[in-house]
Amino acid sequence: MTQSPTLSRRSASPSAPAPRKSKRSGADARAGYTFLLPWLLGFIALTVGPMVSSLYLSFTNYNLFEPPKWIGLDNYTTLFQDERFLQSVGVTTSYVVFGTPLKLAAALAIAMLLNSARKGQGFYRSAFYAPSLIGASVSIAIVWKAMFGDSGPVDQGLSFFGINLGGWVGNPDMTIPMMILLTVWQFGAPMVIFLAGLKQIPADLYEAASMDGAGPIRKFLNITWPMLSPVVFFNLLMETIHAFQIFNSAYIISNGEGGPAGSTLFYTLYLYLRGFSDFRMGYASAMAWLLLIVVGIITLVIFKTSKSWVHYSGDAK
Amino acid sequence: MINRRNFLTTVAIGTASAAALAACGTGSSTTAGETGSAESPVTINYTWWGNDDRATRTRKAIELFEAKNKDIKVNGNFTDFAGYWQKRATEAAGGGLPDVMQWDLSYLRDYGQRNQLLDLSTVKINTDAFEKSLLPSGQIKGKTYGIPTSTNAFAVYYNPEKLASLGIAEPDGSWNYKEFNAFLTEVGAKGNGALFGGTDYTGVWWMFNVWLRQNNIEAFTEDGKLGFTKDDLKKWWNLNSDLRGTPALISEERATQLAPKSPFGSNVTATEVTWDNFMAGYLADSGAKELKLVPVPSDDKDNLGLFLKPSMLMVASAKTKYKDAAARFIDFMVNDPEVGQIFKTSRGVPASKTQRDGTTFEGTDKLVVDYEKSIEKYLKDAPEPPIVGFGTLEASFKRISSDLNFGKVTVDGAADAWFKEAEDLIKQNA
Repeated sequence: MTQSPTLSRRSASPSAPAPRKSKRSGADARAGYTFLLPWLLGFIALTVGPMVSSLYLSFTNYNLFEPPKWIGLDNYTTLFQDERFLQSVGVTTSYVVFGTPLKLAAALAIAMLLNSARKGQGFYRSAFYAPSLIGASVSIAIVWKAMFGDSGPVDQGLSFFGINLGGWVGNPDMTIPMMILLTVWQFGAPMVIFLAGLKQIPADLYEAASMDGAGPIRKFLNITWPMLSPVVFFNLLMETIHAFQIFNSAYIISNGEGGPAGSTLFYTLYLYLRGFSDFRMGYASAMAWLLLIVVGIITLVIFKTSKSWVHYSGDAK
Repeated sequence: MINRRNFLTTVAIGTASAAALAACGTGSSTTAGETGSAESPVTINYTWWGNDDRATRTRKAIELFEAKNKDIKVNGNFTDFAGYWQKRATEAAGGGLPDVMQWDLSYLRDYGQRNQLLDLSTVKINTDAFEKSLLPSGQIKGKTYGIPTSTNAFAVYYNPEKLASLGIAEPDGSWNYKEFNAFLTEVGAKGNGALFGGTDYTGVWWMFNVWLRQNNIEAFTEDGKLGFTKDDLKKWWNLNSDLRGTPALISEERATQLAPKSPFGSNVTATEVTWDNFMAGYLADSGAKELKLVPVPSDDKDNLGLFLKPSMLMVASAKTKYKDAAARFIDFMVNDPEVGQIFKTSRGVPASKTQRDGTTFEGTDKLVVDYEKSIEKYLKDAPEPPIVGFGTLEASFKRISSDLNFGKVTVDGAADAWFKEAEDLIKQNA
């Protein structure tokens, strides 16, 4: 099902024959839209509608019970004087900045190990993929909390080596590392994509490099990395966007409060608390739109920089 | 004639008109809402917060109610306190609040003033057996949104067995704040890391409220503003500032990891300052044979600042289709003596005299009833339902004082932060 992003631009090149025009095209389009209709209706009613109304609500003071009051840009301007908001931005930023590269590095490393032809690779692939299927679930967050609690396995294991950190769950300095470990552990999805990408790198490139006396590091830097860069780009984009949306595990591990001392107050968690604990839906909507804009800008920046480090096989360079 | 082309349309129109007819049926029923019969009972939803102990008791009460009222089935559901309010908010937004709910005074204005709760004076619930001074706490602007199930008062719990094992004499409750702090320090010093004095009592909003009353200050003014100053709050948080970070108080790191269980229920602290109806929960959580209650500290021997608060209220959704069934269930839960026998003091001391007199209090339950009797002469009026958004303020009070224990803020910074949030919220809801 999962197909890796194409390594070649050839398919999109202008030399491809243009779609044939015929009298049937109108009927085809009608049939197409008819089949599209169920999804389109759902998309309009369940996604576009709520988005538009949340955009409107973000300019209002709305407490769920009374009709919204128009207050212009007030929500957006007060955001930047709200210390908890700024805290949530800090927490989320550090999570994205440290968690995403670590996760991708882990995924790439494991994918390279699994790429070699050995017995039982199918089993290992499934085994390494499994955490990403269950990782976002409620039960794993609860297990995580127990593992990193006082005298939990992690505390005991580290104490064995003379490292006495105590429980991570209650220590404001250790909760972010704990959350990052949880996301790194779910490297399965990017790993599978990396693996598919690795398989598309022609083996003769490595053979030629070996003949020229290139070591493993040289091969990685000069063959694997450039050949894989479109896949890295895709994974980086998806995982960055994904990391901004962390909610479930933070909600469960902190009992829905973002503690200790606000150290797990992720952006989405604060948004939720503002909306559903404090009944400030307008404020929460403004936060949601700000997040959308910021994630959009970051995506755009990644796209812009990609020109300098992503290589497609059809390109001249 | 139905052909392939208009078959779907026909079916759609048929379904729609059937639904419309059904809707007419609902509309034409009486103001008592839909009623059931033994053959086809109506089902009402009831939700509450609490631990497993309360869940077992509530299910027993529901069974009893269903046995006595064959025409009503009750579908019960529960969560913990924090998650409870987020769920209710979501349901209220979607217009789907459960028919009957256990409620807290902190949230009565939020939902009552915003027309989410049923005015219970419009249905039949017997309140003759209630103390007249207690009922106003469930009323806002002449409408009755909640009926108190029971009362509770603030107290200091202690574990006599733990104190004896450390060779510390049991307190008698006639203490001022200095003596109370000294007591916590002694427990912490002798507890040797295994037992702490208590949880930081200055992080509890209602204890702050008690202290304000000891100093003759009202927490909120009539017009919904703050009745105390930033200096009052600083004074409060400074009361035990030299205890923070010492074994007299359990560290925030430990307390966080024990959550949602309390440190006292986990046998890690010797005392806890909180409501007297937590007895049953603490006994179940800690497995202790006996826990005792004494009055809170006060620097004014004649004014303990104590009051009886409705520990919880029963409310109904304004949109319930089964007003009659909801009213009968509420009446049963607050008045029936057998319900009193099931809950004992785990909801607080029953507010209705019928229920109270029909309940036998023994052992630890008797301690709770005796405690409320012993403080009778100090009691003042029950507080009115607090301001809109009070639940948020209560939560941020706890959060900010926990930041204080983490050493993330100074007392001055904490007071500034809380006042900023409070003023913002009051402005927001004005």
